[in-house]
Amino acid sequence: MSKQRLKQNIGYLAGGAVALFFFLVPLCRLALMSLTTDQGFGLDNYAALLAESRTLRAIGNTVIIAVASTLIAVVLGSLLAFLVAYTDLAHKKWIEILTLAPFVIPSYIITLSWSTLLSARGSLNQFLDSAFGFKVNIYSLGGIILVLGICNAPVVYLNVLPFLRKIPRDLEWAARVCGRSLWQTVRCIDLTQAAPAVASGGMLAFLAAIDNFSVPAFLGIPAGIPVLSTYIYENVIGFGPSAFRSAAALSVLLSAIALTGTALQGLLVKKSSGMESIREDFSVRVPLGRARLPVQWITLGFLALVNIFPLITTITSSFFPACGTRTLANFTLENYRFVFTNRGIRQAFLNSALLAAATCLICILVGTALACRKVRRRCPASRLVEQSASLTYAIPGIVLALAMIFHWTMVPGVYGTIWILLIAYVTRYLVLQIKSSTNAMLALDVSLEEAAALFGSGRIRMWRQIILPLTIRSILSGTFLIFMQSLTELTLSSMLAAAGTKTIGLSIFSLQQGGDYQRAAAVSAAVIGAVALGYGLSALLPLLAGLKKRARKPRQAAPLAAAPAQAL
Amino acid sequence: MSVLIKNVTKMYGDARALDNVSVEIADGEFIAILGPSGCGKTTLLRTISGFVRPTGGTVEVDGRLFSSDKVQVPVEQRGLGMVFQSFALWPHMTVRQNIEFPLKSRRNQALPPQQRRQAVEAAMASTGLKKLQDRLPGELSGGQRQRVALARAIVEKPALLLMDEPLSALDAELKISMRKEIQDIHKLTGASIVYVTHDQSEALAMADRIIIMKEGRIEQVGTPEEIYYRPKTLFAATFVSKCNLVRGRWEGDCFWADAAAGQNQPFARGPVESCFREAGVCPVRPEEFTMTRIGMGLEGRVVNRQWGGREIHYKVECGTELFTVYAGLFDNYAEGDRVVLQRREAAREIAI
Repeated sequence: MSKQRLKQNIGYLAGGAVALFFFLVPLCRLALMSLTTDQGFGLDNYAALLAESRTLRAIGNTVIIAVASTLIAVVLGSLLAFLVAYTDLAHKKWIEILTLAPFVIPSYIITLSWSTLLSARGSLNQFLDSAFGFKVNIYSLGGIILVLGICNAPVVYLNVLPFLRKIPRDLEWAARVCGRSLWQTVRCIDLTQAAPAVASGGMLAFLAAIDNFSVPAFLGIPAGIPVLSTYIYENVIGFGPSAFRSAAALSVLLSAIALTGTALQGLLVKKSSGMESIREDFSVRVPLGRARLPVQWITLGFLALVNIFPLITTITSSFFPACGTRTLANFTLENYRFVFTNRGIRQAFLNSALLAAATCLICILVGTALACRKVRRRCPASRLVEQSASLTYAIPGIVLALAMIFHWTMVPGVYGTIWILLIAYVTRYLVLQIKSSTNAMLALDVSLEEAAALFGSGRIRMWRQIILPLTIRSILSGTFLIFMQSLTELTLSSMLAAAGTKTIGLSIFSLQQGGDYQRAAAVSAAVIGAVALGYGLSALLPLLAGLKKRARKPRQAAPLAAAPAQAL
Repeated sequence: MSVLIKNVTKMYGDARALDNVSVEIADGEFIAILGPSGCGKTTLLRTISGFVRPTGGTVEVDGRLFSSDKVQVPVEQRGLGMVFQSFALWPHMTVRQNIEFPLKSRRNQALPPQQRRQAVEAAMASTGLKKLQDRLPGELSGGQRQRVALARAIVEKPALLLMDEPLSALDAELKISMRKEIQDIHKLTGASIVYVTHDQSEALAMADRIIIMKEGRIEQVGTPEEIYYRPKTLFAATFVSKCNLVRGRWEGDCFWADAAAGQNQPFARGPVESCFREAGVCPVRPEEFTMTRIGMGLEGRVVNRQWGGREIHYKVECGTELFTVYAGLFDNYAEGDRVVLQRREAAREIAI
């Protein structure tokens, strides 16, 4: 064996070992734990769980919530995508921003805002009660479905919108010539063509609904409505290690649903492929004529009501004390004073910021290196790491958290410190970076590198002057997504954080669970501010860097639009 | 079906895509609209089909008003057949379903199923698609897709067939063989055909008449022979028959070329369109030149030679002008040779 081959093989082995240790072994430990019984191994844990009515209820709730919220998301997301892609509505930019708001704002803040808006003693419910004699209870199955549907609509929207734009106009014109009216054409050509994209978006929404922890945690736990993710959480937090085995068994069940969904989604994506190379067509295909203005204002009004109004209510409520009426006399900054002076909250902000930054740094280095080796050298080890990393992204967050506990308690000095969170975040989000870096490397023609080498560039110069300038935008779009997600993360930290390592998400969660809604609202307002600042900067940065020419209008939402493609 | 286009103008913002276009297309006529990209030919076709609403002017078909600034008959009610550059086959339907599609529209509701089936069979038979009827478009070759697009366009037996660069997505060999199929379809259906193309050889080969367009305006309308031999504008001369424009001055019917100054006989004679007279140029097609080593005419030097099997293409530099010459295989000159160019008629006249 030549020296080079030896070196290469050692590299593969090292890569494989890392993939195994960080990504696969934790999952295996989880599976193993679910099969462990006092006598050895067996299916006793599953049998015991399935005999319990609460488990069956949790499974039933999970399925009902996932299916129903997916229906809402599909209808809402597809309709909005159709309006933005095809019609002549004005203010499309605002429609898009309003549509995507629930995608950008963490779902626990949206949940908090809906529960504030529809609180039992809130003005909306008071009004409904006096006018129609009923109140809307958001702490219910219906409430969870509604909020999840709203939260997941952008996923469908982002999946369907580019696809609709890519359907060639010739196909429509041909149908018109063949005697079909505009609406007949939309129905039997465009919607039929877009069906796989709608289905694939729906599958993503379904997976997001199963994965989601915060919505059922905020609304379901107080009302005693268990779903699988919160049921696992309650078992582990409530009963500690004694509940590990049954929690592991529940996790395997939940993962089975999620992985089946992921596989189905992969098939759907394959079915709708072949459109990648087609350019998006931004022209107006369906002029609405006289209906344009009504449709436009109904759409904007609906979006503002559903996606913005609850947030505003929440932010407003943070300026008033918990009890008493909301008059100007009661206006107070007390809640904000608490946010900015409380040591726990300050520590949580610091933790989240540090974690997000460190996660990004590790992901961008490791992920880009892996993508590079995969694309340019077809290295099997990096492919293995990628596949393992997509597995840890595809399974629900609560399951990954549990697997992390099982695995990293074996390594001293990790569990209970901030390191477990960092490791969990990297394990969770690395695949996003690998995907976006892979896309960046694929878009870069290898001949550009060869030309640079031919004209005598060294490796460093080649990276600095050729590769980085051409790929940095696309690489950073993944990094940005990771930053935003880990900054506002809740699921992993709810299981893994200890006393000194609370995150922002967890602080809001604790305040809400403790009934301290006004302070939770104040922290949320601060988070919304940070998120808005982040997205604002991401839109401005290319301007400042003078990259405006390459970042044309449709690409401005690049960090957002890239998300669904990267999600799996 | 006859089409009457009167003073049609189309504005996109400040840009004039069509500028006062008027033309009449007779029943059963094969008419080609020829021009470079951006000349407005596709806009004109889309105005006839109803996808584009004219800013001014009217389109009438068989005496019925189809388009004006007030009236716009919807596309689906115009009863046209159309073939698209990209073929525009619906990828989720089989060949048969694609061809059947027009017959299932509202305007064919009254058609009995028996006749519908016959029409589909006939359209598939005339394009040789019977064996492929259950395939999806993705499983067909370029030529086969083209045939499906043609079959779909003729299955309703429309009296007016529009074709938007139907051959430009095919490779060179297939382009030539599909021309015959389109001619056959024209004979078979007897429909009027409006055929948009930027390839002058296609237009010359198939059309009864050609419309030459440039910058939204009609330059010339005429039979292929008229356009080829008697271009009426400088653009028609250079675009269709690739004429060289020899600089000089006209005196009556005699043309004195600048590059042949000092010679005692004119370079060319004969009637000529006034635009050439005003521009001080004489149009000479590449094959109209004769090339000799000595004699009267344009004296120049061969700067480029491309052997083509049937003929040889030369570039000849005469003073500051550069001419394209197509010569027979026996007029073999090397790059750098000094030559004299004459116009063929002129040469014949001298011989007589």
